[in-house]
Amino acid sequence: MKVEWIQPFVTSAIRVLEAELGMEAQVGELAAERAANTTQEVSVLIGITGQVEGTVIYGTSKLVATEMVMHLTGERRPVFDEVSESAMGELGNIISGGAAALFEESGIHCSISPPTVIVGRGTIISTVNMKRLLIPLILPFGQLHIAVALRSTVG
Amino acid sequence: MALVLIVDDASFMRMRLRRVVTEAGHDVIEAANGLEAIEMYKEHKPDVVLMDITMPEMDGVEALKQIIELDPNAKVIMCTALGQKSMVMESVKAGAKDFIVKPFQPEQVVEAVNKQVG
Repeated sequence: MKVEWIQPFVTSAIRVLEAELGMEAQVGELAAERAANTTQEVSVLIGITGQVEGTVIYGTSKLVATEMVMHLTGERRPVFDEVSESAMGELGNIISGGAAALFEESGIHCSISPPTVIVGRGTIISTVNMKRLLIPLILPFGQLHIAVALRSTVG
Repeated sequence: MALVLIVDDASFMRMRLRRVVTEAGHDVIEAANGLEAIEMYKEHKPDVVLMDITMPEMDGVEALKQIIELDPNAKVIMCTALGQKSMVMESVKAGAKDFIVKPFQPEQVVEAVNKQVG
């Protein structure tokens, strides 16, 4: 996977987090991973299809997800419920949609699938033969990890 | 006052759009995918449709095409995270009247809806 393919997701995430949560995210250190992904407490999976294909996973703790949902819905929810799952899924959807637009600007056409939200730590997700690039975004109340595994379907 | 059909698979987004649209003085009905949207359109003949694109069962572009077939004057506004130029062009070609890219400001939605019913 090309390292530059993670940048549209980072750029889009920073924009969306600023617009939706009203806070600036700092970018952490980039890492590469080949082993199966062990999910965090809340993970949003989105499939990418087109001239690049693969998966993007947004992972965080329930504590951070709860804070995000509070900013998104305008109210603190006592439990991580269906609305919370929907809000986190939509956040992943909006970030990925923005990334798809940035890919198109650089001549790469792709689309995204509806999000899948996994609640509960420890689910093993394999991106099979694809290496993943991981980057944490640091927010005032914790981190959101973006893991991207993509490959080209052209040339 | 207009009747607005909100189509989005995310209950969170339907909730958010419902709040914005009702606060602007309009009535709201909801659908969670393209298939439901077509049924709701046939039954209620809404004045405006706010349509997401990435949805299970049937996506928003396909639903837009089928709604335009039913009613060539349908006022459908795409409201989606997919802001690529190609997606905007495809939607406009299929009959969408406007295009809102998420994340949006509430005023953008109100303005787009009012423009269609004005």
